[in-house]
Order: sequence, then structure tokens, then C-alpha cells
Amino acid sequence: MLGSTSKIGKYYVYGSTLISAFIVFLIFTILIISSWDAITTVGLDLLKFQWNPATGEFGIIPMLFGTLVVTFIALLIAVPLGIYTAIFTSEILPSKYRFIVKSLLELLAGIPSIIFGLIGIAFFSIWVQNIFDLQSGRTIFTAGILLSIMILPTIITLTDDAFHNIPDKYRETAKGLGLYKFEIIKEILLPIAKPDLKGAILLAFGRALGETMAVMLVIGSIDRIPSPIYNWLSPGQTITSKLGREIAETSFGSVHFSAMIFMGLLLFIIVLILTILSQNSLKSNRRLYE
Amino acid sequence: MKSTHALIVFLICIIFTSCEKKQAINIAGSTSVLPIISIAAEEFRKNNPELNIIVNEGGSGVGVNQLGEGKIDIGMVSRDITQEEISTYPNVTFNPISIGKDAVVPVISSEIYNAGITSLTLEEIAKIYRGEVRNWSELGGPDKEILVIDKEASRGTRHVFMEIVMGDKEAIAEGADLVLGSNNEEQTAIVQSDAAIGMLSNAWLNDNVKGLNIKMLDGSIIESSLKNIIDNKFPITRDLLIVTNGKPAGAVKDFIEYLLSSEGQKIVEEAGYVRIN
Amino acid sequence: MNRKLKNNLFYTSVGVAVLVCALILFFLFGIIIWNGLPAISLDFLTNSSSDFGATGGIVYQIFGSILLIVFAALICLPIALGTAIYKSEYLKNETANKLINTLIYSLNGIPSVIFGIFGLIFFVNLLNMGISWFVGSIILSMMILPTVTLSTYQSINSIPTVYRESSSALGLNKWQVIVQVLLPQGFSGAITGLLIGVARAIGETAPIMFIATAFSGVKLPSSFLEPVSTLPTHILALAQQATNPAALQNAWGSSLVLVILVIIFSISALFIRLRHQTISKR
Repeated sequence: MLGSTSKIGKYYVYGSTLISAFIVFLIFTILIISSWDAITTVGLDLLKFQWNPATGEFGIIPMLFGTLVVTFIALLIAVPLGIYTAIFTSEILPSKYRFIVKSLLELLAGIPSIIFGLIGIAFFSIWVQNIFDLQSGRTIFTAGILLSIMILPTIITLTDDAFHNIPDKYRETAKGLGLYKFEIIKEILLPIAKPDLKGAILLAFGRALGETMAVMLVIGSIDRIPSPIYNWLSPGQTITSKLGREIAETSFGSVHFSAMIFMGLLLFIIVLILTILSQNSLKSNRRLYE
Repeated sequence: MKSTHALIVFLICIIFTSCEKKQAINIAGSTSVLPIISIAAEEFRKNNPELNIIVNEGGSGVGVNQLGEGKIDIGMVSRDITQEEISTYPNVTFNPISIGKDAVVPVISSEIYNAGITSLTLEEIAKIYRGEVRNWSELGGPDKEILVIDKEASRGTRHVFMEIVMGDKEAIAEGADLVLGSNNEEQTAIVQSDAAIGMLSNAWLNDNVKGLNIKMLDGSIIESSLKNIIDNKFPITRDLLIVTNGKPAGAVKDFIEYLLSSEGQKIVEEAGYVRIN
Repeated sequence: MNRKLKNNLFYTSVGVAVLVCALILFFLFGIIIWNGLPAISLDFLTNSSSDFGATGGIVYQIFGSILLIVFAALICLPIALGTAIYKSEYLKNETANKLINTLIYSLNGIPSVIFGIFGLIFFVNLLNMGISWFVGSIILSMMILPTVTLSTYQSINSIPTVYRESSSALGLNKWQVIVQVLLPQGFSGAITGLLIGVARAIGETAPIMFIATAFSGVKLPSSFLEPVSTLPTHILALAQQATNPAALQNAWGSSLVLVILVIIFSISALFIRLRHQTISKR
């Protein structure tokens, strides 16, 4: 009797682990099978600039471009802002306030992305429209700003942890040598925290790539690379916004559907690589899952 | 452990209640038909409290696809079903039923309307969407670049609009600046801009979103009034359809009969459309 | 360049960054509360929505959101517990451990919209379950699985080996040790993980918008295979009408309610973790 419960328990434990491990493979397999149609029938034409299902053109370059640019803008803003703020919370702010700051950050991280979308459409897009005197505030740039705010908590939290994990003796020794705070941080702490910072940025990169709702509402959703190419104050499209808007309109099993899933597969693979890279970089990845 | 027991009991209760399945009609599709159906569903349920009517938006394309895949009972479609869609679902007999008439109206921001552009020819509108006309001044308006708002490709409003204006329901609009989805979203974008042109169902016009009058070839100017829609004078009109797979039966049939009854048609009128009989 | 000047410049940049972050934080919460509060009333919380959500309340949206996450948690919990026990008690192989970690982190990193299209292909179309809240719960349970698993694993793993050894010495077999010694401890980790997980899941839109939700007409679902309305998808529908004041007000009201729910879950998680930490430190 005792032996059998032990056995059932063992099966249960093995079984659930298998399920957990299986899910990623299942998703990956389903995505590959569903996009196979597009890979074989459209093939290299997927890498063209025109997306028009009516004429059978499924070029995903505009979406890929939009995704990368939006993420680039987000990182460009969030990384310096986040690292400087994390330096403040871990190196300057007395540690008794640290708990409050951490809680506030968690609150910020907890705001659902759809609410960012609402804020984006009700405020940010109108501001962008007025400040730059544009026809419409639904632009790649607007989406980038919104995203930068959304990934800010990730960067601050992980960077703050990275600095906080450095033993105090480094700081004390450096201080003893008469170094200024700036020099301590730049010459001593930053090199030690560098792998963690890299991990934090990669993780934020992955999150930004996959963000859907907020981007979808403010980006303007046109499958076109802006002209000129650096004119990011014009509308665009990302993979996620394309999926969010168009997947329900496509009939299951069509080439159109398959081409949409192909974009999803691409996003999945990119994000997977980033996640694995960031996991290797983050020494203390106990916070990864929050 | 007590809480685990309570949990199990709770779960069993839920499973039991879910076994006696309440009847439900699932509807999805065009946002132009949505106002009629969602109000009609609320009214219809007052007399049939046992019946659930679940309404989802997403556009005409969604309505056709989900009906084709058997996920819904009624598709709301504000355009004709395309040949391609029919051939995609060979096992489905699309049975469209018209419940009202509507016009697809080219709309502009009130700022442009008040500045004097109150009517355009279809060719002028087509030029805007083709990207050949980019500034309102070229049409006698203020010196402002035109914000051209397009819609997602399978939306009913776009099909009908492009068919009449550009001659092809799936025409590419080279001049488009934004691509949006529902009537609500398009309306919002036009209100937020002061130099926009877009396309909307007649029921979405208001003081901030002005419907353009169409200048016909003979020089007459046709307003998108209900009267002109009834008389078929306005050039871009359409039927608002609900589509079933084969002949409707049971609760679905009752609901459709309600929509076609004088009570149902009153809802069509109140939503801003034209009744069919 | 002057060292002192550099140092001051550095302090200034840090100050500016902190100021910007603080402003962002106060701006975001400011507008959510400022715009949301006027919308919230007892009627708003207890009535069903009508007229495209522009009038009426959000009671069924709240119910739908809660239903989704409760079942997501119920589906997730046993699998997460099992995986955590395996990782902590059975798995001795370093490579296998690394592989499982990688898989769990990968699952955690998958963009939410990918979960949505996966659910659409696999559950809605291939398994032909239709658009239903239960599919939504399954998908959300997959999303929160890594969080719950790792949180449980940490609390089980943090139990000193002495406990395990002394329990075995008392004649308990491995499974009895797990059930009687490790599980009670692991459970608080699981609950913490679940609360963190559902705090995230309740705000998700992209995974459920194609597979689990309907726009209107949904009351209480009477079976597993019916769609529900949820707060995030309700906000999505209302956000598209951002120039209709009534709809916008309801959108802000729904947003505030959603944020409050998220905060309740997050704070409960924090509370349980803190209480647990102080106990184990004694």
C-alpha cells in the first residue's frame, strides 16, 4: 500500500514534469506545422515588401522592420533611464527606502498592457501629434515610447538587483582609495554587474518584441516601411500588431493564415534565443520569473 | 485538507451545472451590423430569458470565417460574401438574409467640412486613396496634408467602399496613412485629426465626423440622407446581412423572424439604418 | 576633465533619470485614478453593460476575468507542484536540470500573443473546442506555469536537507517525506507563485482575445464551452471609441478596477512571502 502511493506519486511527479517540458515543444511544433504551408508555397517571397492577401503577396519585411524599430526606440529610451534609476535606488538611496521603491516598481510592472494602450490612444498619440505637428499621432515613435515605459520596471529591477548583489567590500575599498562615487560605479561596480546588465537588457528586449496590445492600438497598422526609412514619426506595423488585428479575419488553413503564423514562428524563435541568452547572462536569475 | 474537499465539491457542482446546457445563439462579425444585433438581442431576451445570445465583433471577414468553421450560428456581414470565401468552405451553404440598408459614407474631419469641402466626386475620392491627391488645397480646401484612413482588408465597409470608389473591392490604397478596424476606431481617429478622410457606416456620422456629399457626374449633389438611401440615389449603399449555414431553425429562426418583424425593424431604424420593408 | 565635475555631472544625470521615472509613475497612476474614480459607483460594479459598453456596468466582465484566472490557477497548481517536486527531489542530473530550467524560462519568455494563436490553432480549431472561457483558462495556466513552478521549487528547495534526512531516519519513505514534510512548506511557495501569476494573467488581453471572449450578451456561462466577457477585452473595445466620452469614462473605470485587482493579488503575494520569510527565519 505504502509502496503503491509512492509509485503513483512518482508517476504524478514525472508526468507533470513531462507536461511542463512538453508545452514549449508543442507550441513550437504547432507553429511550424501551421506555417509550413506558407514556407513551401510562398517561400522566399515571404521576404518581400508587399503584403496583400488578395493578390497572394505575403511579404513580411514591413512587419519585421516595424518590430525591430519599435523595440530599438524602446530600448534606446529605457536602458539609460533604467540603469541610471537603478544606480540611484541601489547606490544612493538609503536601503530602508528600497522596499518602497521596489513595491512601486512592481506596481508599475503590474499595469496591464491594454491599459497602456488606452493611455497611449487617449494621451500619448495626441501629444505626439501636437508636438511634432503630425497628421496623426499613431506612429512607430509613439509605440516605441509606450513600450519603453512598459519595459522600464524590468530593467530597473534587474539592474538594481545586480548592483545590490555586489558585496560592500568593493565599495569600501574603493572609497578608501579616495574615488568619487561616479568612479566607483563606473570603474568597479559596472564591470562586475555587466553580465547581469546584459541579461536584463536582453530580457527587456524579448519582452518588448512580444508586446501586443499597447502597440496595436497606437502604431497605425499600415504594412509599409516609412519613407524615408528613418522617418519614424510615421505609422507602421509590427508582427504582434499584425497578428492581433488580422489573425481572426483569416480562414484557418489558408495560405494567408499560414503566412500569419509564420510571422508568429519568427517572433517565437527570436524571443526564445533572447530568453536563453539572457538566462546565461543573468547570474542570479531567481528574479527572472517575476 | 478541508479546503481541498470544499474545492472538489465546488468543482463537481460546476461540472453538473454545466451539463444542463442552456441554449445559446452565437453571433459574430461586422461592426456595422453590431448595433442592431446587440440591441435586438437584449430586447429578444426579455421575452426569452432562457436563451443566451452571445455577440462578438471583429468585422465581416470574421463573421464569414467563423460561420464557415462552425464556431457561430449567425454571421454578421455588411458586404457580399466573396467567391473565394464560398470556395474556402465547400461544405457550408451560406444563406444571407438582409435585415436593413445602409450607406457607406466617405467622411472627413469637421474642420475640413467647415472650411468648405462639403462634396467631392467619386473620382476625387479615388485620387485621394490612390495617393494622387495629397493636400486638401488641391481640392479647394485649406493647405493641409490629407490623413487618409483605410480599413482592414476584409472589413465589409471597405469592400463596399472600394468597389464603388476604386472599382475593385480589394483595391490597394497606395495613399493610405492608417489602417484601422472597427467603425468606432475609425471614427475616433477622424475626430482626433483635423484633416482626415475615412469611410464609415452611415450610423456613425455626427457633428465631429461629417459625411461628404457625393458630386455626381451630372453635377447633382447627393447627400447621405436616409431618404437618398431608401431611393437608392446615394451611390454607395449596401444591405446589412445576417448569414446562416443553410436554412435557420429553432431559436436562430425565431431570432431572425424577430429581426424582420416590425419590432425588429424599428430597432434597425433607431440604430440609424433603413428598414427593409 | 575635472574629476569632481564629472562626478557632479553624473549625479545630475542620475537625478534627472529618477525624476523622469517618478514623473512617469505618478502620471500613470494619476490618470488611471483621476479618470477612473468618477466612473466607479455601485451601479457600475453591479450592472451588466449595454450599448457597446458605453453605458451600464461591468459586473460580468469582472466575473469573467475572475473565472478565467481561478480555473487557470486550478489547472496550473498540480502540474507546477509536481514539476517543482521533481526538480527538487528527483532530479540529480546537472544537464537535465539545466535543460528543464531552459524549457521553463523559455515558456516564460514566449510572447503572450503567441499563446493566443497557439490556443486558436490547437484548442479552438484542431481540438474543435470553439471559443470558450475554458480554453482561455488553459492558455493562461500555461502562461503562469513557470512562475508557479519556480516559486514552489524555491520554497521546497530552501528546506534544509536535515529535515529530509531526519524524516527518513524516522522510517518515512521518500513519498511520505514529500507529502508530510516538503509539501506543506512548498504550498506557500506555490500560493505566492499563483498570486504573482494571476496578477499578471488577469490583465492579459492578447492570449484570450481570439479564443475565450465575446463582446456582449454574455451573462454567466452555463457550460465550459462558452465565451465570457473580461475586463481587458472590454477595455480594448472601449479604447477604440476613445472620443466618445461615455465609453471613455467606462474604459477608465474598468481600467481602475483591473489595476485594483492586480494590486490586490500582488500585495497578497508579497504578504504571504514576507510572513513566510519571517517564520522560516525564526
